Order: sequence, then structure tokens, then C-alpha cells
Amino acid sequence: MKLLTKTTLNYLSVTLFVFLFGIIAFYYQLRHQVNQNIKIELEKRKSSIINQLLSAHSSVVTPPNQNEKVIISLLKEVPSPQLSFYDTLFYDYTAKKYVPFRQLGFVASFNHTDYYIQIFKSLEETDNLIVRIFLIMAVLVILIIITLLITVRQTSLRAWKVFYDTIKKINSYDINSHHDFSLSPSDVKEFDDLNRVLIAMTDRIKKDYSNMKEYTENASHEIQTPLAIINSKMELLLQSQNLDEKQFKAVADAYEASNRLSKLNKTLLLLAKIENRQFPESKSISPQTLINAQLETLEDLIVSKKIKVVRKYEEGVVLYMNPYLAEILFSNLVKNAIRHNLTEGELSIQISSGLIRISNSGTELKIDQKSLFERFNKQSSSPESVGLGLAIVQKICDVYDFNVSYLYEHNMHKFSIDYRNSR
Amino acid sequence: MKILIIEDEKNLSDSIVEYLVEEGHICEAVYTYDKAVEKIELYEYNCIVVDINLPDGNGLDIITRVKKSTKSPGIIIISARNSLENRIEGLDIGADNYLTKPFHLAELNAHLKSIHRRINFSGNEQLIVNEIKILHNEHMVFVHNKEVKLTKKEFELLMFFISNKNKVITKSGLAEHLWGDYMDMADTFDFIYTHIKNLRGKLLKEGCSDYIRTVYGVGYKFDLSSFTNS
Repeated sequence: MKLLTKTTLNYLSVTLFVFLFGIIAFYYQLRHQVNQNIKIELEKRKSSIINQLLSAHSSVVTPPNQNEKVIISLLKEVPSPQLSFYDTLFYDYTAKKYVPFRQLGFVASFNHTDYYIQIFKSLEETDNLIVRIFLIMAVLVILIIITLLITVRQTSLRAWKVFYDTIKKINSYDINSHHDFSLSPSDVKEFDDLNRVLIAMTDRIKKDYSNMKEYTENASHEIQTPLAIINSKMELLLQSQNLDEKQFKAVADAYEASNRLSKLNKTLLLLAKIENRQFPESKSISPQTLINAQLETLEDLIVSKKIKVVRKYEEGVVLYMNPYLAEILFSNLVKNAIRHNLTEGELSIQISSGLIRISNSGTELKIDQKSLFERFNKQSSSPESVGLGLAIVQKICDVYDFNVSYLYEHNMHKFSIDYRNSR
Repeated sequence: MKILIIEDEKNLSDSIVEYLVEEGHICEAVYTYDKAVEKIELYEYNCIVVDINLPDGNGLDIITRVKKSTKSPGIIIISARNSLENRIEGLDIGADNYLTKPFHLAELNAHLKSIHRRINFSGNEQLIVNEIKILHNEHMVFVHNKEVKLTKKEFELLMFFISNKNKVITKSGLAEHLWGDYMDMADTFDFIYTHIKNLRGKLLKEGCSDYIRTVYGVGYKFDLSSFTNS
């Protein structure tokens, strides 16, 4: 749950609870107070009526206003006189509806006769008042809750926006990326601090990383010249007529080893350059043309291995990438498919919009498929193989956001390049 | 051919000179930019082999200088920097080839031979090695005047062998010549074996002597020394 949702929910439930009970308590308190007032008023009128009765010989007085109505009857004529307060309804002819009244019944003696006297007080106005006050209160409370809620949410949203932005940026942070890493400024101190610390951290990491990378690249470059010297000296030595067989073998082995080192070094430099995006210029490339050219160069080998080539080309498929990298990419895949093919096997090339698949016959791999594209991962223990071919394929695909995948199905190794999401 | 080698690494320069002198070239080596400029002003060369990173200057400037003059020697760049821009820039200002260090001496030699052919015969020469006759431009090969149909790679292979005849040529040297830099060597070794087997078969079929010798553990040799008329 997001922090904002959590605080909002907490806030909402607490305020609702408090206000709900507050309103109920308020209502009863108000009601009670009003009742009390009516009671006091009726009591007052009771004593005034008794006084009037004592001083005047009046009988039943029925003023038009119900509030001032007084019913005086002989006590014995009333079968069950209700003494003290109770509520009743009267029909109001002007308003044409029943109106609640509070009535006070009491007994007063006059000339040795007991009279049962009822006086009334309308509850309608006070009821209306209570309801109205209550309604106003309720609306006010709801309004307050809503405005508070909106304000709090909006403020938080604005404040947290920077935080979410930071999270998003860190999530997609790529140390190899060549874009500047920047975070939006915030007016909240904590977030500003966080951003500052994060930027300082990424800067430091980036600096360390690029230092290290620079170091390895420089080392690789510097290794080239000594390697060139070693190789050239060995090559000269190999031409010498005076070596006996044992010496020749020793020189040959050393020469092969230094050659492997050169190859490895060159390939690692290439990988580093691909990673550094040092092949910027892109053009429209036709994969058909490139793959056909590769197949033509490798025709002798295809013939000698009796490989059947199946081409399923869709017309007009175009890739937008660096021509040099495109050549390396497809040549690596095609050569791979020929080398690991069986005699009289099949090499199938499928080019359609969004997907290029190069498949070859072969037995199942013994290594993990996921590690296939990792550096120095090779199945054969062949010493000549440096195991970087597919790592290069992967790196090139990374540059262009191609998705390269491997699948073993129906005795075929299938390498697919999905370029639907490419830039 | 008269060749000027501009390379600041003396050890490497010595190796190049030794290999090329054996091939019958006349070589001069200089180790600095200034010396190179001086030599170019004073003498004529058929070919210049130049390193880009010199202690006191840029090899590319030397090429520009040569191209401005009336002389037109072949130019081969050797550089530790294998950047595409450098390569393109080098070729743009008029270099014939660009080799990345470390390179095979046999490869350098093959490039020099091809420059030699371009300068001397404009490519239209007949190359005759004993019973083998090669029409380079037409990509045609004859053995005892009978045409042998070779594939493109087989032709390249034969040319490379003949350019470096009587020399031990390593498998990796062959591989890089035929397939370029970035290929897993395990691939190429299988491939080379196939190519050589096919080439040898085609040549032998027309009655050609078996010049291609396997040098155990290293590579091959196009050996004319044990045959007459070499």
C-alpha cells in the first residue's frame, strides 16, 4: 500500500469515527437541553395557571393558539389522569398535519374540588431547530472532512511526486547509460536530502566505474603493441630452418597461445566499444542482403557439410542499425549455425517483420540455456574458442533494444531476434 | 619494392624489416615523425607502412603530406587503435589498407604484394608459379593451361599462399585473412581445413604438384623449394 493511501485511509477512518460520535452526542445533548427548557417553561405556566385559578373564577379558556390552550376538567371525570410530562399529537387545522406537543397534566384544588389541568407546548419549532442545527453541523463537518482530505492528498501528492520520480529514475538507472542522471528538485527537505545523497552516490559509482573501464581499455590498447611484437618475432622464428622438431613445436604452441591472447583482447575491446556505444551512425539495413552475403561467403562450408539451407524471407524487412555491427551480428549467428550444424543438417533462416530467426539442426546443449549468452561460456573445451561470439550478439542486441533468445525445439537450435521494441 | 616503415616500436619494426627483406624488398625503417617526413621529402618509395601513433606526431598527417606531393606510393596503416573512425579516416585520405595490431606479417606481406601488382601491372598481370597461372583480375586459375574453377575463398586462399610462398603460414593468419578479425577461432579452423582440402583437391586433380604442406600444429606452407623451377 502506498504511504499516501495509507495515511489517507487512517485519517479518514479516525475523523469519521470521531465526528460520527461527536454528532450523535451533540444531538442528544441538544435534545436534552431543549427538553429541559420546555419543562421549565411548562412548570412556570403551571404555577401561573394555579395562581390564575386561585384568583379568578374562570372556567375553560380556549385561546386559538394551541400553545396557550389549557384544558381544565374535573378530576373524577378523567378516568386515568396522566400526571407530569408526556408527549402527544394535535391536529393543526391551519397546517393540516399532526404536530407534536408536550403536555403537562396536574391536579389543582379549588373550592375543595380537584381539577385536572392540562397545558401544552408545541415541540414543532424546537424539533425543527434541532434538525436544522443538526443538519448544518453535519454538512459543515462533511465539508470540513472533504476539504481537509483533498488538501492533504493534494499536498502529499505534490510532495511525494518527487519521491516517486526519484524511485522511477533509480529503477531505470543504467551505469552504462550516457545520459546525465538528474533528479527533480523538491520543496520537501527530506526528499531534497535524499536526492542529493543519491546523486552524490551515483556520481561516485559512475566515476569509479568509468575509471575502471578506462583502465581496462587502456590496458587492452597498451597490450596490443607488445603482442604485435611477440607475434611478429614468433612468426619470424617459425620461418627459421634451423629449428629441430621439438623447438619448432614449442615455438608453434607459444605462437598459438599469443595469437589467442590477441584475439581475446581484440574481441574484448570490441565488446567494450559496443558497450560504450561507439558505433553511433545508423542506417537502414536489409537483413536479407546481409545474410545472403554471409551465406555466399560460407557457401563452400555449407556445401562440404551438405547443409540444406531453407530461406523464408518476408519482403521489405528493414533494420535501422550500424552497418558494421549488423554485419558482425549476422555473421556471428550464421557462422554459429553452420559450425554447430550436423552433416546433412538444416539451416533455416526466417526473416519477417519484427522477428529474425536463425535455426540449425543439432543435438541438445549440455549447458544452461540462460548462460548461453554470457562471456566465456562455451560447451566445447576447444581451446581455440574464446566463447565470446554470442556475448557479442547479446551486446549488439542490447544496443538496439532487440530481444535475442534461444530455444531448442524439434532437434533444432533456434536463435531469434525480436526487434519489435527496438528504437 | 622499396618500402619505408614508420613505426616507433623498434622491435616490431625490426621484425617487419626482416620478414620483408627475405621477400626481396628493400626496406628502410624510421622511428619518428620528423625522420619520416625527412625521408619522404628526399626519396621515392613504392610503399609506405605507417603507424598512426608516433611519439612526435600523427601518422595520418604523413599520409596527407604524401598524397599532396606528386608521389603516389602505396600506403598501409598499422595501428593499435581499431576504431572504425580511424579506419575510415585513414582510408579516406588515401591509405590502401588498415591493419590493426597485432597483425600477421604474412598478412602485411600479402597486402604489399597486392599493392605491388596494382602499381606495376595495374592488376592486369599474369602470375605464374611453376605450372600454375593466375589471371588476377579475372579471378581465373590455370594448371598446365587448363582452367581450375575455384570459389572466391579458395582463390583468396591460393593468392595468400602464393604471396607468402615458402613461408610457414599459421592457421590464425589464414583465418584472419579470409574471415577478418572478429570470429571465434574454433570456427575458422574447421573452415580453413575444409577450404584447404577443397583447394588442394582441385589443384591435384589437374595434375598440379602438391605444394600445400601441413606444418604440424601450426599451419600450412606453400612449399616450392622442393620442386624445380621455383
